[in-house]
Amino acid sequence: MKKPISSYFFAVIGVGLLASGVYFIKTIEDPQSILRALLYICVGLGCGIFGHGMGEIIVRIAMKNNPAVAKQLEIVQKDERSLANANRAKAKAFDLMIFVFGALNITVALMDIDLTVVLLLVFAYLFIVGYCTYYRIKYHKEM
Amino acid sequence: MNNRLEEIRMQRGIKQEELAKALEVTRQTISSLENGRYNPSILLAFKIARYFGMSIEEIFIYEEDQV
Repeated sequence: MKKPISSYFFAVIGVGLLASGVYFIKTIEDPQSILRALLYICVGLGCGIFGHGMGEIIVRIAMKNNPAVAKQLEIVQKDERSLANANRAKAKAFDLMIFVFGALNITVALMDIDLTVVLLLVFAYLFIVGYCTYYRIKYHKEM
Repeated sequence: MNNRLEEIRMQRGIKQEELAKALEVTRQTISSLENGRYNPSILLAFKIARYFGMSIEEIFIYEEDQV
């Protein structure tokens, strides 16, 4: 589990984002271009970050009052079979993503849309493949 | 890989829950090990062997034709 300070920090940041978003939505009469969306993104992000932080705090309080449940949760989180299953599922999803993302890139390229969008998608795809290769080499050297 | 985990556990009158708690794994992991659906890591195999005061080879049986 994360450090308690980070949960409180996230909760406060979330409230700050949410409050500032709502405040500016109410005060700015006619927001222009990107600002119109940005304010609502602030509200959405604020809610998400606040919810995440509060969730962590509530779980921590519940665990503090019940050490047996806390121990059981720790066992479940560290259980090697569960971790192995989670890693296998992630590996399967990654394999699928490579195919889906590749097909999406080709589809977008054939749709004759803006080259910037196509290049952005291709670079994102190549970044992920490169990231995978980097860790393969890193782990290969380590083990 | 086969194992005698269930047999040894039964002989000693230990419940799956108790063994799971002692080894710090879930009861489902013990059940999967006993059914042969899951092969443990070398660390868990050592923990199991130490718990029963036996060697790994006495609990886990390696068969050439199986992976």
